[in-house]
Amino acid sequence: MLSRTAENLYWTARYVERADSIARLLEVAYRIHLIPNTDEGYLSEWDSILKASGMKQEYLKKYDQINKEKIEFFLLFDESNDSCIKSCIINARNNLKMVRTAVTLEVWNTVNSWYHDLKNYERDRYSSKDLPEILDWVKKQVNLIKGTIDHTQLINDGFDFIRLGIYFERADFTARIIDVKYFILLPSSTYIGGQVDNFQWSLMLRSVSSYRGFRWAYGNSNIDYKKIIDFLILSSICPRSIFFAVEKINHHIYRLCEFYDDRNIVHKKVNAIYKGLSKCNADEIINFGLHEFLTKFIEDIGNVYTDLESVYFSGTDR
Amino acid sequence: MYMYNEVFNKKKIREPYLNIMSWAKSLPHNLVIKKKLQAENLFKKIGITFSVYNNFDNAERLIPFDMFPRIITKLEWLHIKEGVTQRALAINAFLRDIYNKGEIIKAKIIPEDLIYKNPAYEVKMIGLKVPNNIYSPIIGTDIIRTDAKSFKVLEDNCRTPSGVSYMIENREIMMRMFPELFHTLNIEPVDNYSAYLLDILKTLAPRKCGGDPNVVILSPGPLNSAYYEHSYLADTMGIELVQGSDLFVKDNITYMRTTKGKQKVDIIYRRIDDDFIDPITFNKMSVIGVPGLFDSYRTGNVNICSAPGSGIADDKAIYSYMPDIIRFYLAQEAILPSIQTYKCSQKKDKEYVLKNLKKLVVKEVHGSGGYGMLIGNNASKAKINLFSNKIKNDPNNYIAQPILDLSTVPIFKNRDLSPRHVDLRPFTLVGNKKNKLVAGGLTRVALKEGSLVVNSSQGGGVKDTWVLRE
Repeated sequence: MLSRTAENLYWTARYVERADSIARLLEVAYRIHLIPNTDEGYLSEWDSILKASGMKQEYLKKYDQINKEKIEFFLLFDESNDSCIKSCIINARNNLKMVRTAVTLEVWNTVNSWYHDLKNYERDRYSSKDLPEILDWVKKQVNLIKGTIDHTQLINDGFDFIRLGIYFERADFTARIIDVKYFILLPSSTYIGGQVDNFQWSLMLRSVSSYRGFRWAYGNSNIDYKKIIDFLILSSICPRSIFFAVEKINHHIYRLCEFYDDRNIVHKKVNAIYKGLSKCNADEIINFGLHEFLTKFIEDIGNVYTDLESVYFSGTDR
Repeated sequence: MYMYNEVFNKKKIREPYLNIMSWAKSLPHNLVIKKKLQAENLFKKIGITFSVYNNFDNAERLIPFDMFPRIITKLEWLHIKEGVTQRALAINAFLRDIYNKGEIIKAKIIPEDLIYKNPAYEVKMIGLKVPNNIYSPIIGTDIIRTDAKSFKVLEDNCRTPSGVSYMIENREIMMRMFPELFHTLNIEPVDNYSAYLLDILKTLAPRKCGGDPNVVILSPGPLNSAYYEHSYLADTMGIELVQGSDLFVKDNITYMRTTKGKQKVDIIYRRIDDDFIDPITFNKMSVIGVPGLFDSYRTGNVNICSAPGSGIADDKAIYSYMPDIIRFYLAQEAILPSIQTYKCSQKKDKEYVLKNLKKLVVKEVHGSGGYGMLIGNNASKAKINLFSNKIKNDPNNYIAQPILDLSTVPIFKNRDLSPRHVDLRPFTLVGNKKNKLVAGGLTRVALKEGSLVVNSSQGGGVKDTWVLRE
């Protein structure tokens, strides 16, 4: 397949997944809005949402203060924000349009309709009232797209590149959101286990759609942050965990190596990360330092991507 | 002005249109509206859109689709088929000649200057060996009908004619919306076009190609107005759709960048203008081309279809010589006549044109897409004066033709059927020792009442075109 085709498929999937992540972030925001809270908690929550979206600087450049409706608009429709849901939809479609022939008509149709239906949700003036409906729609469309990909595409190298886009984005997003929460909400160890802190952690679980999943996985016990680390970083059954994403990345890169009949550096690296995570436990991560652990992970997985790019997306001989 | 209505013959419905007229009249008004909306949604969902140049927004537009089909009988089609095939063969013989010995010039049939000083003449192609001497394998011929018997050629398109995907998708959409019509009528299919095209292209492998040639389509990218078509053709032919940046040339061999590393490319069906295909040989500013591609072509490592410099054959100044060209190379008379053309480069013609602007269509010699055109009968005085000056200042750049009485076919308009002018573009494929033609073509329709401009960039629409089997 053309290198550009592989790259466009990869980025289509990343943008689809990113739209989903931003929708989940906003959902958390919506919940905070419904729960009476101190001003401080309220502000810091919005602050961390901006940080987790990676868009805080851009937001502050444009708007001088943290304001609920403005942030919502910024993350939904503000096209100057490259990671807002609207931009994600446009970028996903543009990437796919370049390689229409590499996906089934069904996949193209779902992404194309997503783009065309967007205008039904974008009003002249944004109002918070519309938020739940918009988020439901975005999440539904994302699941429709992913389901259509899984059940209509040939399970060939193109499929692997799509899956890689989804899981690289997810690994990155989950790592970032844990990091943001850890840094912002747990500056000192004395707070750990306190009430506020439990509430914040539960919001975080919601932001990766794992609140109920966590309850099922760990029974009715209290939320504590060790369990959360275990669940969001190391669990093999939580589809939003870092381990889960790495396992998929490892799997699809392995498939590519088999398919192209080469044992290249990309698989060695991701396999090392995968093996490291398999053997790891929550205590080790805490001893190492959660922030340090996440920083290293983001860097390592970034290196895997860089290699993937130079091996498969440049189109020169290796 | 007399105009030929394809449906009626002296108030009586012509036989091929009998069924379809009773069908059209039986459709309840609300169903027509519903189906129209449905068709539009289908086009949009599939992404069949085009972009308009010279416009403030680069939004994607839908090409207006009218559901009343245009019908061509078997006999009429055979006549058209013979005519366009003859033209396509003559055009390729002409191109071979003018880039080699130039017999037609030596025989004083076409003035030397018209060829050698023509901006569309590509000096870099002189003496160059083109695979199997096929310069222009895909030719779209614009045909108009003026009465029950006559089909005439308005224009040849032998660079990168577009519209074939509409021919196919119009049919798809009609079949989805009105399957009952296809059960009762015996209509020639058009969806075999892509298979024909690949078959023809594969006969045009370059000299240094071993085995099954690797064919690709080279597109300028998603912003191009015909991008949908490029991707449609790549998809249905099962070949890669590449952009300039996907290709590179090393040691005169053209490769594409793939996930497996570099892979040799043998035949490029390019949908990029000559000027942009190679920034080293042609336009230095081109960012959509491939550096070194022309050298790869010249050395027989890759074939570029159509060949650079093919455009001279559809130049409007050459057009008027087409009957002579056919006679010269094929020793036949043109089956489809051309339209009388006044060349403003010639003094007598120019004087006639300037005196009769109100009765004429004036076209720029190198223009296309309906831009830079004057239709004299309903043009403002200012516009006539403008063109009068243009012609005086630069007569070589203009030709004129009588205002054509294009035939009409009805469209669905409000509660009625209303006649509109149409043309027809079949796509002739010329390969090594064989040629192919799908029974059908693109019918373009001027949606404005009385308008003669059918170009989509000027508000024209399209119709499904049915060639009947019996």
